[in-house]
Amino acid sequence: MTPDDLPSRWSGMDRKALAIGEFTLRQQRKRLSTWVVLLVGMAAMGVLTMFYIDAMTRDYEAIDNDGDSYDWDLDGYPNGQERLYGTDVFDPFDHPGILDPSVQPDDRSVWINEDDFDWDALEEGSFGYDDNGDCLERNATASQKDANQNGVPCDILIQLDPYSLGETYEIISDGNVDEDPDDEAYALEAIHRSFVLAIGKLGVVFLIGIFVPLFMATGLIRNEMVSGTMHFMIAKPIARGEVFLYRMLGFYALAWVYLTVLIALLALVAGFVGPGEGLYRFGDLGVWFSVWLASIMAVTVYGMLFCSLGVMWKHGMVLALPFAAWELGMVLTTLGAPETSILRFSVIGWAMNVVDAGAAIAWSDTPLIIQMGLWGGGGGSLEGAEALNLFWSTPGLGLGALGTIVMSLFVLLFQAAACWLLGSVLFKSKEIE
Amino acid sequence: MMPDITQQGLPPTQAAAVTAPVVYFNGVSKSYGRIHALSDITIGLSGGVTGILGMNGAGKSTLFKLLMGKLRPSAGEVKIFGMDPWKNPMPYAHVGFVPEHEKMHDWMTALDFVSTFARLHGMTRSEADTEAKRVLNFVGLGDVMNKEIGRFSKGMRQRTKIAHALVNDPKLIVLDEPLQGCDPLARTTIMNVIRELGKLGRTVLVSSHILSEIERITEQIIILHQGKLVALGNLHAIRERLDEIPHTIRIVGEDARALARDILTHPAVFGVSFPNDTELLIQTYHFGKMHSELPRLIVENNHKVSIIDNPDDDLESLLHYLAGGSSS
Repeated sequence: MTPDDLPSRWSGMDRKALAIGEFTLRQQRKRLSTWVVLLVGMAAMGVLTMFYIDAMTRDYEAIDNDGDSYDWDLDGYPNGQERLYGTDVFDPFDHPGILDPSVQPDDRSVWINEDDFDWDALEEGSFGYDDNGDCLERNATASQKDANQNGVPCDILIQLDPYSLGETYEIISDGNVDEDPDDEAYALEAIHRSFVLAIGKLGVVFLIGIFVPLFMATGLIRNEMVSGTMHFMIAKPIARGEVFLYRMLGFYALAWVYLTVLIALLALVAGFVGPGEGLYRFGDLGVWFSVWLASIMAVTVYGMLFCSLGVMWKHGMVLALPFAAWELGMVLTTLGAPETSILRFSVIGWAMNVVDAGAAIAWSDTPLIIQMGLWGGGGGSLEGAEALNLFWSTPGLGLGALGTIVMSLFVLLFQAAACWLLGSVLFKSKEIE
Repeated sequence: MMPDITQQGLPPTQAAAVTAPVVYFNGVSKSYGRIHALSDITIGLSGGVTGILGMNGAGKSTLFKLLMGKLRPSAGEVKIFGMDPWKNPMPYAHVGFVPEHEKMHDWMTALDFVSTFARLHGMTRSEADTEAKRVLNFVGLGDVMNKEIGRFSKGMRQRTKIAHALVNDPKLIVLDEPLQGCDPLARTTIMNVIRELGKLGRTVLVSSHILSEIERITEQIIILHQGKLVALGNLHAIRERLDEIPHTIRIVGEDARALARDILTHPAVFGVSFPNDTELLIQTYHFGKMHSELPRLIVENNHKVSIIDNPDDDLESLLHYLAGGSSS
């Protein structure tokens, strides 16, 4: 007796997918551990955000790099103002007030951050402008005013460092040009960008991206096998690979929504708290979007992988942990050496490419900001510059930003599909007691 | 050994048709390392209720798991509607399986549980809902179907599992120890459900380690012992063969010796003994006959009897006999 009305393998897949997906979602929702994992993740990100808010609301000391806010002869005129008008900074009776017409003394603060950066690109050429005149108006020879010998007096020469194989720039100033930048404005901008990159890459994409699947996906199939409830699911006209996939879909429904909410909250807070002229920093949304894309993909690949490891061995977590350690090593490598080819053999390397390329599009001036900050007017790097330099990476695929995103997403999708295939084959060959 | 099942309740035309049996095991063995869970089982079944009897660890669950594609046979072939269940899950569209595992999804209501898993048969949400309500009513859980399974008694849980297995109107229903741990009421309900399914012409496989349970459900049995098929066929026929070995019947009453005097007159009895004043042990070869005549003997002679039982008329002694018989 062979029933001639056997359904096709391909029939009703949408209904089965929805049934298992929905079931899995509801099952996760009923578990305390799910909420613990999600809330701990949320709380950890919240604590980091607190540090950020503190950094944004703190006062940054305005440093007078060139010392021209001082008034050495105590005549009420800051040294900078005296130099501008050619009076003697050591003689209390010689000051711009005795000139005709008489000049009123400036407040000291005018001469603190008075010569900000005047560059608009990080490329070879002549940049900068001496806003306060302490180079242009200086009583010096033309060759002294052109210390970098590029034929332009009182400028900054940017050129490729010949020892870096054309990768980094060196900055040679004529002296007293753009030497007194606005420390606070720079620090706020640099720290804001550092925070978005750090919490996006390390916090959301890596930590949340790996721990949520580790705790929630590893047992997705295995727990049901152990408890025996898997029998209800596989004694049905459904392939095991399908059961595997649909269960993952249920997990993804939860994880993806969670990531979306988490990232939306972070984007909201950082957008309002961060520095800027407008009320909200819309310019950051491109970075947040790439963080969202990367984290969704990371959770997708890790979920498939960890669920497969759970099927492979009942202590799948033990297999997942060394892998997580490998990924931690890789994520640190992306910070220091994003072009290293070993990163191709990781998941996080590709996910980081997505964020880095997205940030390269949304914040294309960041390399310039980093260079400015590290140079810092010639008096050492500004606050926030080192951090931004650490968390900013240029993806090393050599495909351009958009090409990098497309390529990385493709590779991540391929990894997810390969893990699903692995899990399906393992599950199919598993005897279930 | 080809199965010899002349099973009642099956229309002759269907029995004569040359088609693959619903369930077919051909020389199937399953071993875990050096432990042989099943060895060389050959069975073909179509239609009616078949009881699978065996002690714990006899291989009943292994047999079912092979049938449900959860285990892969070490040797031989398993077919369900003529297809290999390890390779192809599609025959399960016409199968309902009640696993022995206690664990269920306690957080779901019975209706949720049955309808969710019904959707794995490709039903829409509303179809699944309708069917789930139908089968839950069929197993007598209609009034509690919106309660969480976690609050159910053992018997209600078993019935929920059975409902879940019936939701696709299966042609083959496999029940692994469905009566275990159930209260008498649930037991009766479940037995009725199983008999009902048999009458509907479905192929039903039900396992148990309690002979009297299976006796109340069906006459067609398969007995497994230590992974081997030791008997297959009509339970009464197997029982008759028991008459060939000496059997003990234990009677507890007011005056054991007076009772013995009356019973010894019966030709089937070849010995009696008295462990104490109120207890009588009868030795007989004709076990079935003795059992049917004992009540008459007792009533006619006005004896007061409180217990009649058969210390070795259980599965264990049956198996002992069958296994011993096959080895000699």
